[in-house]
Amino acid sequence: MMRMRRTLGGPAAAAAIMSLIVAPAFAQRPAGHYAAGRAVYRKWCAPCHDPGITHPGTHALMTKYKGVKSGVLLEWTDLPASTVKYMVRHGILLMPPFRKTEITDQELDALARFLSRNTPGGR
Amino acid sequence: MRVPPGVSAGDFAAAIAAFERIVGKDWVFTSDDDLNLYRDAYSPYLNEPEERIASAAVAPTTTEEVQEIVRVANRYKIPIYPISTGRNLGYGGAAPAYSGSVVVDLKRMNRILEVNERHAYALVEPGVSYFDLYNYIQEHKLKVWIDCPDPGWGSPVGNSIDRGGGYTNANFRNHFDSHCGMEVVLPDGELLRTGMGAIPNSQTWQAYKTGCGPWVDGIFSQSNYGVVTKMGFWLMPQPEAYMRCTVRAPRFSDLGPLVDTLSYLENSRITTGFPDLSSPLLSYPPIGQIQLWNENGPPKLSDEHIKLLADVKQGYSAELEAYGVKEGIPYWELWLSFYGPMEVIEASWRATQRHYGKIDGVQFRVVDKLNLPIDPSTAEKYHEPELGVPSLRIFSIGARTPWNPTPSHGHMWFSPIIPRTAEAIIEANRVFSEAARDLGMPLFKTFTLPACFWERSFVFILATPVTEDPATNKRYREGFKKLIEVGGKHGWGEYRTAPAFQKTVMDQYSYNNHALQRFHETLKDAIDPNGIMSPGRYAIWPKSLRGVQS
Repeated sequence: MMRMRRTLGGPAAAAAIMSLIVAPAFAQRPAGHYAAGRAVYRKWCAPCHDPGITHPGTHALMTKYKGVKSGVLLEWTDLPASTVKYMVRHGILLMPPFRKTEITDQELDALARFLSRNTPGGR
Repeated sequence: MRVPPGVSAGDFAAAIAAFERIVGKDWVFTSDDDLNLYRDAYSPYLNEPEERIASAAVAPTTTEEVQEIVRVANRYKIPIYPISTGRNLGYGGAAPAYSGSVVVDLKRMNRILEVNERHAYALVEPGVSYFDLYNYIQEHKLKVWIDCPDPGWGSPVGNSIDRGGGYTNANFRNHFDSHCGMEVVLPDGELLRTGMGAIPNSQTWQAYKTGCGPWVDGIFSQSNYGVVTKMGFWLMPQPEAYMRCTVRAPRFSDLGPLVDTLSYLENSRITTGFPDLSSPLLSYPPIGQIQLWNENGPPKLSDEHIKLLADVKQGYSAELEAYGVKEGIPYWELWLSFYGPMEVIEASWRATQRHYGKIDGVQFRVVDKLNLPIDPSTAEKYHEPELGVPSLRIFSIGARTPWNPTPSHGHMWFSPIIPRTAEAIIEANRVFSEAARDLGMPLFKTFTLPACFWERSFVFILATPVTEDPATNKRYREGFKKLIEVGGKHGWGEYRTAPAFQKTVMDQYSYNNHALQRFHETLKDAIDPNGIMSPGRYAIWPKSLRGVQS
């Protein structure tokens, strides 16, 4: 984890600042607004995309963005809902697409809402 | 709308309408967008005309619905292709073996019917994943372990009937062997229960495997004779402790005694955890450390070491060996795992060291010694599946990392079974590295060590990448087929393969003019006269398509 913190220091700090900027919008949401999306994330995305290099999706994105941007999806402030939906249904490189029997359209809407929550105009 | 080959548009429309009546319109998929989700993301035919594509998908939630779907398929002669979680990546994914089949997606059949702690077994449906089963056990605080393969989102049912393997004790690592009892919908819609499950109100369906009479479970694995809708598995009682140790041997020639002693120790049940062969001197990781190497980079080698590696031939170099002896870098390091009460583990480890004491210069080390259970949040310090914890961490293979700037689009696993000897390891390296070089396939660096999933044989696994370039993919898949044939000539055959290679693999099992394959076809004709069930899976074709398809 020490390694993670060193590597992510810059972008993590930037993400923290961004989250302050979007905080008012976030605060207006009723409690539990993102619960369904968060649950989908925990089940289907977290094993590859949670923070840390033990999550191959995160490690791949860290490598790709080289510190310019966080490798952790949860910290992104430029992730529109439409991009989330596209990636889930199309996959990329080693990430396969997810079927509707795994993530329904309704669950995908909730996931996209959750992951784009810090993205201004992200819906 | 896509239509299966040989089926009229009218009949297909009628079948789709019938499927919709059975499962509801929301769970029958016919649009291109929806069907693209059933493509094999790691297909060696990615984006080529030969890529296997479904004509529809239907997703039932009960055994009764599966029976009705199968009856409809018979009525209209529609090829169907059941999948469990559809995550058999590297071995075909969710795509049918025969293009145009209707995928019967069992992901919604996701009930964990029973986890019995007292007798250490589970009974699950095909849509249950290893993650689901693990989470259920954790939530209910049951003191049993699952044995899972590396990616944890697969299905115990699907993985077992494709005869996959795992990482805990020997009697659980072979997932088909550790099953006990099946429920199967036969190709005519009839419902069958195997073993003791054939007795109404059986008390021992998950306790005694074979029942009475022929034990038929095997014919429902790697085949197309039915849809498995329930399956029992024996679980390991949560062990009290875990110890991971290594045996280090300094010389190339030590590989023989290292392997032969391992076989003795395993067959005697002195060591029972997943054995993992590695070579620090050749910089070849044990399977359990691959993810750590991908995450943190391979161990740093001196310039002299790197230079010496360049001159290694078939894994051997006298200069490299001398360098290893001088620097204290072992040629081989065998990782061993032990589960059980600490006093038993320690005694087993003592006996193991005694048996390995005959290797001159052998060294032993204890890497981990844990009382169980561990805090699940600390599992990532280890190779999780060896502690019965599912993970997706293995997807670091081929993924973008600082050490792999060119990520792949997938991989196909070349995985022949070879004898459990040093001679076979060396011979397989020679044969396959020469063949791969001639075929232009970059599969070898210095040397490849086999996986030790099973106690009596090795699996010689080589990952062949899938790329975005059809010409490269064509070269690799043609090469893959050649490697299968080269293996066959040496008496080695794959333990499992993707549909694209099933015919080539089965062609190697040719004793007495393909008697085994002909027997498979005799069974197919008897059990599935309309040929509707997974045509072509493991090269078993119904009569109407035999010789036409490959």
